[in-house]
Order: sequence, then C-alpha cells, then structure tokens
Amino acid sequence: MVNDKLHIKKLYALSSENRKYSFSLPLKHTIRIGKRDYEVKLKSDDKYGTYILWKNRKYPVEIIRSSQNKYEILFNDISYTFTVETPFSLKRKKVIDSTRGKIEKETIKAPMPGKIIDVIVREGSTVLRGEPLLILEAMKMQNEIISPVNGTIVKVLAKPNSNVMKDDVLLEIKL
Amino acid sequence: MNLMKIKRILIANRGEIAVRIMKTACLMKLETVAIKTAVEPNAMYLSSADVIFDNTDDTSEIPIFLNIEKLIEIAVTMNANAIHPGYGFLAENAYFAQKCLDNKIIYIGPSPEAIYKMGNKTIARKIALTSGIPMAMGSEGNIANEEEAVAIAEKIGYPVIIKAASGGGGRGMRIVRKADEMEKMFIIASKEAEIAFHDPSVFVEKYIENPKHIEFQILGDTKGNIVHLGERECSIQRKHQKLLEEAPSSALDDKLRKKMGDMAVEIARAVNYHSAGTVEFLLDSEKNFYFMEMNTRIQVEHPVTELITGLDLIEQQIRIANGEELSFKQKDIKLKGWAIECRINAEDVQAGFAPDPGKIESLHMPADQNIRIDTGVQAGSSIVASYDSMIAKLIVKGKDRKDAIKNCKMALDKVWIKGTKTTLPFFRMLVRHPKFQDGTFTTSFIEKDLEKYYFNSEYEEMLAAWLATKLFIEENLNDDSINVNFEHGKVMSPWLLNKRINQF
Repeated sequence: MVNDKLHIKKLYALSSENRKYSFSLPLKHTIRIGKRDYEVKLKSDDKYGTYILWKNRKYPVEIIRSSQNKYEILFNDISYTFTVETPFSLKRKKVIDSTRGKIEKETIKAPMPGKIIDVIVREGSTVLRGEPLLILEAMKMQNEIISPVNGTIVKVLAKPNSNVMKDDVLLEIKL
Repeated sequence: MNLMKIKRILIANRGEIAVRIMKTACLMKLETVAIKTAVEPNAMYLSSADVIFDNTDDTSEIPIFLNIEKLIEIAVTMNANAIHPGYGFLAENAYFAQKCLDNKIIYIGPSPEAIYKMGNKTIARKIALTSGIPMAMGSEGNIANEEEAVAIAEKIGYPVIIKAASGGGGRGMRIVRKADEMEKMFIIASKEAEIAFHDPSVFVEKYIENPKHIEFQILGDTKGNIVHLGERECSIQRKHQKLLEEAPSSALDDKLRKKMGDMAVEIARAVNYHSAGTVEFLLDSEKNFYFMEMNTRIQVEHPVTELITGLDLIEQQIRIANGEELSFKQKDIKLKGWAIECRINAEDVQAGFAPDPGKIESLHMPADQNIRIDTGVQAGSSIVASYDSMIAKLIVKGKDRKDAIKNCKMALDKVWIKGTKTTLPFFRMLVRHPKFQDGTFTTSFIEKDLEKYYFNSEYEEMLAAWLATKLFIEENLNDDSINVNFEHGKVMSPWLLNKRINQF
C-alpha cells in the first residue's frame, strides 16, 4: 500500500469543464508561470479564516464538499469542482468514459430549497429545451425551472404547494 | 425648530433597513423599538434599538412583520407613537397604514389612499393617463380572459406583457410574443398573481423591448410641496430583481431629467403624495419614456440618491410624518458626483443566482471616504431562508461615473465574506464589462449580453486545482492516512476539520 503511494509521481486535477492541471509529487508550494516560480501559501488565522496568499494578495478559500477524489472548492467566492486523479486512475477513467453509453434520461433536481408553486407539465407531455417545467419559489423569488433537453416527461414527483430540499428530484425526462 | 411629535418609533422590519432607520432615529434623538423573533434571535439590528420587544414565543407561521394586529398591539404596549415599515413586508399595505392612523399611531410613509391607488396598477394607470403621463399602450383595466388579451395584443401589436394588477417584484408577469402563447401565459400569470398577492386580476400592456429602468426619487410634505431628487438607473436586474443601481443615469441629460422629473412630480401630485416615493419609468432606445409604477415606500437603493444629494431620506420621511414642511425647493436640489450600489446577496451566481442561505463565518468590509456599507449582518449571523438573501449593500461614490466605477472595482476586491456564496463575482465581472462601462446596458443585459456571470483572474482556477490536489494528498497519500480515523483527523488541517464539524 505505502509503496504504491510512493510510486505516484504526478497527480492531475480535472476541472468540471475537463481542463487538466498536473502537479508533480512531492507537491511544491510554488506555481510556475512562464519562467518564474511564484509561492503559494495556505494560511489560516482568526480574522480571515483560511486563505491562500498568492502574489501578495489574500484569496478566501473554503471546501464546500469533498468525497473520495472529488473536491468542490470555493476560491475567491467562485466554486470549482475537481476530481483528483493519479496517472493510473486517469487512464482507467478514460477507458470507462469511452465505453459508457449515451445518457437516455435527464433528472431535474431542485436547484435550491423552496416551495413548488406550479407544475406546468404532465406525465407524457413532450417538452423542448428552454420550455418551463415548473415554478419554484425560494426567498421571495419565483424561479421558472426550464427544461435543459428535448424529451418526454416520464415521471412527475413534484407536487404543487409542497416544499422541496435542494437536489430533490422533481421530474424525469426521457430523451 | 419644530416640535417633535414623534417620540418613539416601532421598527416593523428587520435586517439592514431596520439598522438604517435606527441610525437616523438615533441621530435625531428619537427612541426606537425593535422586535426580536425566534427566527433571528441574535440578529444585528436588535443591537441598534433602544428597546426590544421579545416576540420569540410567537410560533405562528406568518412572520410578525406581516401581522398587522400584532404590530399595532406591540406599538401600543411599548408606547411607540410612530411606526416605520421599512421596505417589503407591510411597507405598501394601505390597510396597515390606515390601522396605524385609527390607533393614533403616526405612520412614517404616505397616506393609505396614496398607497392604495398606486398599489393597484390599473388604478395607477388611469391616474397617469388623466395626468397626461406617457405610458405604454395597453388594456384599459383588468382583462377577464385570454381572448380579451389576444384582442388587445392584436390592436397594440406583439410583444405584450401580462402584469398582475396588485403585483410587484417581478411576480405575476409574463411576456407574450405571439397569440398561441397567450393562453398558457395568461393562466400562469394569473395563477402566480393569485398566490403572491391574493388577487388574480391581470392587465396587458405593450412590452417595451430592451429598455432602461429609470426611477425618480420623490419627496413630498403634507403641505403640498413635492420635489424630485433626480433619478436612479436600475437596469442591472435579473428576473426583475435589481442587483446594481446608480445615480444619476448616463442615459439622461439635464433636459430629459427635467422632463421626466416634472412628470414624476406630476403623478405624485395627482395622489397628494407625501413622504418618500419612487416613480418608475422605462426608457427606450429613442429616449421615449413610459410610466411603469410608483413605489410608495423607501427603496432598497435609496443610498445612491443620498450620496449625490447629501440628504438623509429617512430623516426626511420622519420630518414629513411629523408634519414639517420641506426645508428646500426644487431649485435647491443639486446632484453632485456619482454613486453606485452593489447588492451583495447570499446567492450562487454560478447556479443562476440561486439563494445560498447559511452562516456568515467572517465578514470584512472596506472603509474609506468613498465607501458606505449598509448591512444587517456580521460574522456569526445567519442568512435565513425565510427572509431575503441580502448580506450588505456596498455603496461607492466618485466624482464622475468613471471614477465611481474605479472606486467600486477596488472596493469589491476588498470585500471579504466567508460562509455562503455571494454575488461578489458577478459585480467583479460587471465593473470590467465594456457595456457596463460605456453605460449602454439595458434591463436585458444579464439575460442577453452575458456569457459568463462571474469574473475570475487567469490563475484562480489553477490555484484552486493546487488546493484540491493538496487536500487529496493530505487525505489519501500521507503515511498517516493508513491509520485509524482518529489519527487521520490529526493530520487534517484545522480549517478542514472545522468545516467537517459544521456539517454535522
């Protein structure tokens, strides 16, 4: 086990848009831009909490979620999601990705906690991308949840006047 | 000096506006009463009050700030002889204003009659029409069904907008571009209106494409004097929710300002308006303007007007309610400099501005002579889902628009908020956007002109990637990680641990 770990020479952080950042191990506390190395410091104090110090500026950082090799990081108020891969896991991931079939179903989840005001579609209705599916009220705003795809509604789980939590499944659309 | 009839004010509100009102009341040596609720028993606004009414045992589902009978009762028990409604909640409820008067409590706001007339869009339209105020063409009154809506739309031409008669805040509004959309949109708008305002009635008017939202601040006293304090431009909106406001507007010159300002005063005069109010117009690309509505309350964005006029609008509201005459005339109002307000909300810009309630872990705001911060939260406060998502208003001034934008850009980089996602990345993008800088943006800017809702500098994602990699190493590759969980915890940096603990 320990030996395996010592053999890892590189790690890759893949962004959700599939940009790849590679880092050699042991991890340096500098990042090279052009021909110069700049120091990155991870610091924490009572006043600012945790932050990264880079080129004389403090950037707030927070870990929003981490599970297995997946990390959601809030950096300067913007969230980034990465999966960190070893050279081996990256190769395996590529194989899995290429063999995975086409997605056939789109699940619509509540983007925020709130109350369902109205469900516009019914099971069996066909929808086009951009058409309103339902209306969710949260923090005095009525949010129209629109269809991200063209398809047929196969399941309606959302009920008018019911409260939903973030990520509750509202609808399923067959592509 | 006039005798102050108002001695003690009940603040029928919470958050930053409660703090804001109490700040002025304190300067005027007036006492204030704030209400402590079970939802926010440690809220910051409570520390601004002279007296606190403890309402934490009230378990009703309706917030106290909407409970008319109870608020009147609190005012009476606490010896408050005036009520300030703030904005939102009961701020534009004619019945509440009337109830105050019935109970000999001074309502710091306009008359119930003015609130009622302007609150009902169809009545307001009729008043504007008889006063000769330009308006978008539309239905004469409310419409009964989609056939009637189609008939009007055929007459005035598509696109049209269906609006709730009792509406506001973007609810119960639907744009219709062709006849076959009408039925669906009519039903949605009417249903939304019924849920939101207990009134399903809607009307139709011509939809002005890509307008600017320009509003005029009005002040009127009970002696019949009415002035305007210039305009605010509030075109940066999402779903009719304003995000950034500025004063003055780069779209107006002195001539147009006078013309629109006179119209705004005219419409206020038509309802014998007193107190602070706002007349909203849409301005099209040919500089034609159309009356939209009048808000009969203090607005969230009032500070930008205060910064360029040097007036304290809350003080003016209190003095007017006290029966005092305005101490200035229209010619005395001089607009000086430029002011911009950014609404820093607990929202996830990357998830379409979805609310992101949570606990503010740390909060640091920049301070200098060009910056004003209006807030109702501090480190440790929670942004709760039951109320709006505002954290703070960052208000920045400059000698002109360019200078104000420059100061705003610098200030935005100095705001530090941890604990929830915020609209900061949006504003950082906005102040750098050429269309914002040149002032040509319209209300459709966010929906149509933006590809990316946030700003990050070139290396920020890389630094975040570095951090993710560092965490992965700490959690998976350090020798300690093969040990039992307890040991694993030891090597975790304390801040990660903190975050973990907070999750449970």
